[in-house]
Amino acid sequence: MKRYTQHTTEFSDSAGVPFWKKAAPVDRVYIGYGLFIVLLVVISYILGATHFLPFDPQEINMDLLMAPPQTEGHLLGTDFMGRDILSRLIIGIQAYFLPGLLAIGIALVLGTCFGVLAGYWGGGLDIASTFLSNLLNSFPRLVLILLMVAAFKPNIYLVMAVVGITSIPTVASLIKSKIQFLKQKNFIEAATALGLKNAAIIFKHILWHNCRSVLIIQATLGMAEAILIETSLSYLGFGVQEPTPSWGNMVQSGANYFMQGNFWPSTAPALTILLTIMGFHLLGDGLNNILERKRDQ
Amino acid sequence: MRYPAFFKARSAMKLASIRPITVLISRELAIAVLLLLGVSFVVFLVLFLSPGDPFSSLLKEQMTSAAGSHPGESAPWYSQYLLWLANITRGNLGTSIRTGLPVLNEVIRVGINTLYLTLGSLLVTLLIAVPIAIVSARHGLTPVNWVLTMFTYVASALPVFWLAYIVIYISMHRFGLFPLAFGSSTQKWNWLHFMLPVLVLGLSNGTMGEVVRHMREELSRVFSEEYICTARAKGASIWKHAFKEGFLIPITEIIAAKIPYILGGAVVVEQVFNWPGMGRMAWQAAQDRDYPLIMAITLMAAIFVRLGSLIHRAVHIVVNPRSSRE
Repeated sequence: MKRYTQHTTEFSDSAGVPFWKKAAPVDRVYIGYGLFIVLLVVISYILGATHFLPFDPQEINMDLLMAPPQTEGHLLGTDFMGRDILSRLIIGIQAYFLPGLLAIGIALVLGTCFGVLAGYWGGGLDIASTFLSNLLNSFPRLVLILLMVAAFKPNIYLVMAVVGITSIPTVASLIKSKIQFLKQKNFIEAATALGLKNAAIIFKHILWHNCRSVLIIQATLGMAEAILIETSLSYLGFGVQEPTPSWGNMVQSGANYFMQGNFWPSTAPALTILLTIMGFHLLGDGLNNILERKRDQ
Repeated sequence: MRYPAFFKARSAMKLASIRPITVLISRELAIAVLLLLGVSFVVFLVLFLSPGDPFSSLLKEQMTSAAGSHPGESAPWYSQYLLWLANITRGNLGTSIRTGLPVLNEVIRVGINTLYLTLGSLLVTLLIAVPIAIVSARHGLTPVNWVLTMFTYVASALPVFWLAYIVIYISMHRFGLFPLAFGSSTQKWNWLHFMLPVLVLGLSNGTMGEVVRHMREELSRVFSEEYICTARAKGASIWKHAFKEGFLIPITEIIAAKIPYILGGAVVVEQVFNWPGMGRMAWQAAQDRDYPLIMAITLMAAIFVRLGSLIHRAVHIVVNPRSSRE
């Protein structure tokens, strides 16, 4: 996940105006494209899960090998075994969608816990959580995953748990610096003076009202990270195995044909990866620009 | 010479801060050692919890090669860890299950190759990203900058293996090169064998967009500081004044933060290009379940990451000793 510098937000001058009206046109384009991609992924996932597909993704058609797009009803053509690429792309979403949500859940929940402990109480807890963050940041993610794959069985949920755990430091440091900034504000002092419980202050006044947007942004960026890791792993042969499609192993299995000049079977999933990851990145950055930054300084 | 009192005070401050800098840097060194101990414990824990108990067989094999005392079958976990750690500090990381060679020499041999690849591609990333960041921090959002920004988004979302295919295809059909046979040819384009993986990993290791954004934010923050305004008002070079805080610190920070990502990307790139490096060896070791090798590679990668972070901390302390004295 990405690391953002903190920007202070003033609430008073923009009260009443919905946030999308203040957005710069560029950010609207970013968010529009990102939301389009998210919607496409979710709808495709539902279509794939209910087997509402144009063709059977496993069906081999030896008469129609590596057809270009839009031949005989195959909207994106067929691959080197005559299988419909569009159907395989849609089924390929299943390789990362639910495991990616698991990774995001782990990163957000545990990251928020560590961030609150370090930011709200500080002291020894802060030192301990900084040490743990640096410890987790010392591992290159893919190398740690390869270690886990060697030690346990290659299992996508285990891999995504590792992705989630290694994303904890980013979320924790964002929440921590946000809380340290908020603690100097008057309303926290007022809430303490009114005798509110710590739990109420943390959950309602800090997390719900002030950290929501940070967590939403980190969730979109986390999905991009999950897609990147899943495609790399199934490209390397540790993820989903043929004949079950995933975007990474579709690129990999088209490699020999790519070198012979038949670019499409590898290029279609690669472009899908590119456009999807870019969508999640743009959505995250656009939301960050609108929600976390006062643009008209 | 016009403000002698000012210079005197400054040089006195510098003298006073010499000793604390060495103290601070040695503190960072101690933290790095502690973190590496933590890393070794995590690696131990993963292997210790893995089914089939590969760890005690590794330990036994280490012990027999060292001709030391044999650990009992049911030694508690902490004594197993300490024994293993003692072996590591003596340079005994066991032997590879696949090749039977001592792991340490193997990992150092391929680690140097990976270091070339990582540092080279880091350089490529910075050479592309930093000018874009400087231009867009200086001139705001013009159409040209927007195109450049979109380019960094595409570059950081590009699947690195697909870019590698394109590059290999072009080099095969245009230059008659076969990068898959790494280092074996002696043609005049031989240097391309070394350049192509570096270029591919540098362009699409997934960090370009973030490097640009971080540099741009830091630079524009520093440009709006009051001392830059003063420098501009008196006609001094703002680049010189913004260099330390706006350029040196963010760039070392981003290098330190991105080394793990580039090492991860190196696994894929080394696999595609048959680059005889650590990532390819890690892939092979995970395939063969070669525990001693993958443990050693993880430790080595963590050492690389910590070294990068140490350099960042050292630069930060030397440039701005006051801020790191808390």
